[in-house]
Amino acid sequence: MPRTTAIATRELSKTYKDVKALDNVTLDLEPDRIYGLLGRNGAGKTTLMSILTGQNYADQGTAEIFGHAPFEHDPTLSRICFIRESQKYPDDFKVHQAFESAALFFENWDDDLAQELVEAFALPIKRRIKKLSRGQLSAVGVIIGMASRADITFFDEPYLGLDAVARQIFYDRLVEDFAEYPRTIVLSSHLIDEVANLLEHVIVIDKGQIVIDSDAEELRGTAVTVTGDTAKVQEFIGTAQVLHRDALGALASVTIKANLDADQREQAKLMGLDLSPVSLQQLVVRSALSGSTAQRTEERTEARK
Amino acid sequence: MNRVIKVARMQLINKGTFIGIPLIILGASFLFTLAIWWLVRRNGGDGAMYGGGAQAPMWYFLALGIQSLTLTFPFSMAMSISRRTFYLGTVALFSVCALALSVFYYLMGLLEVATDGWGMGGQFFALQWIADNNWLVQILFYFVLMVLLFMIGFLAATIYMRWRTTGMVAFFICLGVLVLGIIALFTFTNFWDEFWSWALTWTAAGVTLWGGIVALLMAGGSYLTLRKATA
Repeated sequence: MPRTTAIATRELSKTYKDVKALDNVTLDLEPDRIYGLLGRNGAGKTTLMSILTGQNYADQGTAEIFGHAPFEHDPTLSRICFIRESQKYPDDFKVHQAFESAALFFENWDDDLAQELVEAFALPIKRRIKKLSRGQLSAVGVIIGMASRADITFFDEPYLGLDAVARQIFYDRLVEDFAEYPRTIVLSSHLIDEVANLLEHVIVIDKGQIVIDSDAEELRGTAVTVTGDTAKVQEFIGTAQVLHRDALGALASVTIKANLDADQREQAKLMGLDLSPVSLQQLVVRSALSGSTAQRTEERTEARK
Repeated sequence: MNRVIKVARMQLINKGTFIGIPLIILGASFLFTLAIWWLVRRNGGDGAMYGGGAQAPMWYFLALGIQSLTLTFPFSMAMSISRRTFYLGTVALFSVCALALSVFYYLMGLLEVATDGWGMGGQFFALQWIADNNWLVQILFYFVLMVLLFMIGFLAATIYMRWRTTGMVAFFICLGVLVLGIIALFTFTNFWDEFWSWALTWTAAGVTLWGGIVALLMAGGSYLTLRKATA
């Protein structure tokens, strides 16, 4: 029996005034996997997540969650949790009141987990949310996202303002909890390396378009950096697609799109060339975002009202 | 449990907002009024005394209408609640609170009459124009007035949530033009005298009826506006 897709979009488009926030986005996300939604600031990540969670709506195309459009559909919405990076809370709410509220609406809410995380993040639960620091505010969102145990959970730049220790706690606890309670997790981030190890599948969005939609493992093998004597490097890479080129005197370091087999690796070794793996971040930056210029990014603003 | 009821419970997580503050406002304005009456009587003032303090909590409802939307709506989106459910839960909760307070006003009015105006001949809850009517009209009058003020705030806030500043500016410019137009029309046609003598014939029941219709229209308008609002 084929498994139902958790998230399916077809030719989704959304325009804010003259800015195309989403441009013909077609995606299929399987249930019970961890997805990374990567891209620069203003690439369309938050807009996409807002539409998938019924908080916003598309101009064109369709978005379905477990086969149903989420917009204004409570039974579907109740399976989703999305705390946005700039989430607003009622002015007079204290931290614990936000959790009480979440406990009302998320059927799988785990209060013990929430308590554990509060301690792990050293969050002052009796403080008013508007008095929290940026990092503490992120922690509130992370705790609601984790403890809700919703079938589909979105984390929107969850690490903002969190210190290194807190970020590690988040990543560790997420993996732990995911192992015990598998669900679909979408992690949006512009800090790619930091979340790279968590991700099973990578979606890269740039200027509202999907530029990479690939299994993380597959993606890691698709590029390699060749370093050595310029002439030899050139000879070795031949006609392979060059993603990036650095030169220093007679030395060259060229990143190519290629999946090398054992013979080719042996040959590189014989030619005195160094082969190094390309990190996910480099790969994304080199291949997907190489076309963006600073000027074009300035024109784009993500809707974060 | 029904999600509409859960929305009401969420709005009540901070009990002060919907229940505590209106009661404090009412209690304070009532005690102030009693103190003023007492001072007036001590200094030999006589005749009937009126106090308008009973309307004090109602103005708070205007702010509550704005607040329950602008502050809680973006959070309700994060709680994965549909706009319809949020709307129903919030309006239902307010209606119940307003109804309870209206009944309370009516009962206090009875007590006021029974104690001969708190022993001082004052009128705070049982203002003649309203208290002359039967119990149903009295309760409905207070109720409609409260809902009307709440809805004004709620509608303004939904317009803001959906169209932001542009919407607010457009809304108030249109409102200004409309009001000015009516004033100009009345002035040019020398209608003012007629208007005021007509206004004096209004009864509490009539105000309740028309106020109720306006409140319903605004409720419908804010619902339609909210349906496509974004957090």
